[in-house]
Amino acid sequence: MDQEQLIRQVMAEVLAKLDAGASSPAPAAGGRVTKEQYPLGEKSPHLIASATGKHLEDFTLDRVTSGALTAEDFRIAPQTLELQAQVAESTGRDSFARNLRRAAELTAVPDDRLLGVYNALRPYRSTKAELYAIADELSTKYGCTINAAFIKEAADVYEKRGRLRAE
Amino acid sequence: MRSKRFEVLDDRPVNKDGYVTEWPEVGFIAMEGPNDPKPSLKIAGGKVVEMDGKTRDQFDMIDTFIADYGIRLEGAEAVNAMDSVELARTMVDFNIPRSEVVRLTTSMTPAKITEVVSQMNVLEMMVAVAKMRPRLLPANQAHVTNVRDNPVLLAADAAEAALRGFAEEETTVGIVRYAPFNALSILVGAEIGRPGILTQCAVEEATELNLGMRGFTTYAETVSVYGTEPVFMDGDDTPWSKAFLASCYASRGLKMRFTSGTGSEVQMGYAEGKSMLYLEARCIYITKAAGSQGIQNGSVSCVGVPAAVPSGIRAILAENLIAMSLDLECASSNDQTFTHSDLRRTARSLMQFVPGTDFICSGYSSVPNYDNMFAGSNWDADDYDDWLIIQRDLKLDGGLVPVLEDEVIAVRNKAAKVLQAMFRGMGLTEVTDAEVEAATYAHGSNDMPARNVVEDLKAADNLLKRGLTGVDVVKSLVAGGYSDVAQNVLNMLKQRVVGDYLQTSAILTRDFGVLSAVNVPNDYRGPKTGYQISAERWNQLKTIRQAVSPESI
Amino acid sequence: MDDKTIMAIIADVMKEMGVGAPAPAAGRAIPASTGPGHLRITETGPAEKGTSPREVVIALAPAFGGARTATIIDLPHDQVLRELCAGIEEEGLSYRFIRVFRTADVGFIAHDAAKLSGSGVGIGLQSRGTTVIHQRDLAPLSNLELFSQAPLIDLATYRAIGKNAAKYAKGESPEPVPVRNDQMARPTYQAIAALLHIKETQLCDPAKKTQTLRVEFV
Repeated sequence: MDQEQLIRQVMAEVLAKLDAGASSPAPAAGGRVTKEQYPLGEKSPHLIASATGKHLEDFTLDRVTSGALTAEDFRIAPQTLELQAQVAESTGRDSFARNLRRAAELTAVPDDRLLGVYNALRPYRSTKAELYAIADELSTKYGCTINAAFIKEAADVYEKRGRLRAE
Repeated sequence: MRSKRFEVLDDRPVNKDGYVTEWPEVGFIAMEGPNDPKPSLKIAGGKVVEMDGKTRDQFDMIDTFIADYGIRLEGAEAVNAMDSVELARTMVDFNIPRSEVVRLTTSMTPAKITEVVSQMNVLEMMVAVAKMRPRLLPANQAHVTNVRDNPVLLAADAAEAALRGFAEEETTVGIVRYAPFNALSILVGAEIGRPGILTQCAVEEATELNLGMRGFTTYAETVSVYGTEPVFMDGDDTPWSKAFLASCYASRGLKMRFTSGTGSEVQMGYAEGKSMLYLEARCIYITKAAGSQGIQNGSVSCVGVPAAVPSGIRAILAENLIAMSLDLECASSNDQTFTHSDLRRTARSLMQFVPGTDFICSGYSSVPNYDNMFAGSNWDADDYDDWLIIQRDLKLDGGLVPVLEDEVIAVRNKAAKVLQAMFRGMGLTEVTDAEVEAATYAHGSNDMPARNVVEDLKAADNLLKRGLTGVDVVKSLVAGGYSDVAQNVLNMLKQRVVGDYLQTSAILTRDFGVLSAVNVPNDYRGPKTGYQISAERWNQLKTIRQAVSPESI
Repeated sequence: MDDKTIMAIIADVMKEMGVGAPAPAAGRAIPASTGPGHLRITETGPAEKGTSPREVVIALAPAFGGARTATIIDLPHDQVLRELCAGIEEEGLSYRFIRVFRTADVGFIAHDAAKLSGSGVGIGLQSRGTTVIHQRDLAPLSNLELFSQAPLIDLATYRAIGKNAAKYAKGESPEPVPVRNDQMARPTYQAIAALLHIKETQLCDPAKKTQTLRVEFV
């Protein structure tokens, strides 16, 4: 990534955070959404912005061809995943909601690193220490606390079942 | 001396299939296995301490995962103590709403739900499926592949399949390195046939995720799980890695479902003496526990295994029913070839066709079976009219609609031309006018001129190295003069920002509206409830080109 | 392969597994089981990583050329190996045999071969005939070329597989061996293939290290 792209990305991320803070949910009573607001894109579009802060009306062909929209702009925001988790909970799908909350954390992790962590979690790929180190990295660098606990739990189970990489 | 009647019988297609007698000791039994555990559940301090005859210290990796994440614990001990016959009746009785049944089923253990569905005959299971399917209206999925991985043909076939009514399309590869080309070909092809079609490319897990992240696919399905720990290891994953993978997809706004099926553990040699259905129940609970919104199941690629033993096709319906009863989207297989007999394959499909599932086939081969790279489907392009006429005969909506030859030729031609422009725009390999012409009228890849495979593979590798994404696809389509197709692809990319289609059983309308178990839940309660074929839809379904009108004579 | 041979294989496997043979279809004679192959395979110690960039390692699953002597369509294992080796030799490269015991999964077996191969390219073979060409830097369940439908692999295909593996080892990008596709292979063979695979996995030994093999054609 060149310097300019990097700056743009950082700017976008900062703006997205400000944006999320400013416009943050004025949804249903109690600040939570339910299946009544779903589909969010049709019934509650004002609640949706991409990870880079782009709103739905920004996604036009002209903006793609002019380069104003890049692949980064097509990333879902953690706030949106939280809203979808709330929709899922309102229909009794708690396990699915947990997955969406893990996902919300993982939006911060770059593609390559995400693939790397997935591969490290496969059987016989990692030592216990390596998995714990990955968990700490996700937690401190990207704020993924739920995922960190999940990976440490996996490491403990792998150890018990002999599925760690032999050193 | 031989009986002439037996000689004729021996030559029938059904006798070309392989059959095996049950062998419970190694798990070569479809359901009701003598070694299946007896259901049990004990909870202490908010944790499962005993499940299906094992105490926590005896749990393997799969037991642990299911016990900790897969069972709704409130009231679970009471549910599991209930009589299995009574519970089976509750599932079949259409006076009891789906939501009440889900409260019971999601608290059962794998052995319990296996015992419950085993109380039913197939007719009862079909009634239960009609009620337990999460989405109000059924749909269908297509396979789009060819034996030469020809991208022009893939685009044309994807367009035709979309026009014919499939809501989802799945491709896979003959040669792994063709994956990005195949994914792109059906992505654009499908959007030409009918906007809003979801597409996927079934390849190795990490590659499949990579294609999704780039925007070359819009959902994923081949995230396989298995019912015994050794087979899970041979599948190169664990419940935790698969759950993490599920979250990876969602973190990029991509819809996904898991895949499993009866017979995979026997097929891979480690069934631990348990019946195929019990092990499949464990897979479905892993899926639930991992937080996947849905699953493709129904033996899938292992169908030859349950189909070879008694009650195997019943077990396949039972596993679909378990998936739906755990409130998961169910793409109910009916895909891979399992028999030489047309009678047998039709009987097998009626189990899902009649009640309707989220995706009756997953998928239906939209190409002739010689081109089907999932090793053949139970239904292929040559069966289109059979499927349509069975729908018409029974007044059922199996997801396909009659089409006219001219319409098909038109969308195939457009798809091939668009692919030509897109390949040029993205700096990939050349697509000739002769290929466009051939793909427009082709029956299958035998009708296509040969391509330079080595050049294609280099370009496909290079495409990944250059870091191209769905945004580049949109740009190249605009540059090639196809802004309408570009807009459709852009709208698909937009779905991943909104996330509505992540929800259970979601498909998209041609206007990119979401239909899922959240906004159009199945509310079947017996006659004249649930999904009803509208007058307009019925008119569409019954109007076949072959029918002679009385006025014309 | 005809129905009689299939019945023979089922009966053979069932007999070896100590279960009753299935009732044969009326009027079908069951011929004698496949005789022993013309192969002598000896373990010569734990397999080591090769150094020659001009070798292809061929890894055999636990039952290949031992408990089983022919593929699912009755191709004798010695002929299968002869064709693979001839294909590799045609490209001027050498080959080396190992046996994997930790798994019977052909993807992992092939990947183990690739990791021990001096060229980084290996071939994995199951006794039923399923074959994979693998490269060490790929994910285990990815591959260079996969031949998943054992009933469709004939001797000419095995030779072409050997040849292509050697070409990959030389850093070339060969035209992949044409994949045959017959959707009717599954209904006929899948359950039998599963029986054969159960047999193979029962010979796995997670504790046993991969062994170098001396393979003699006798």
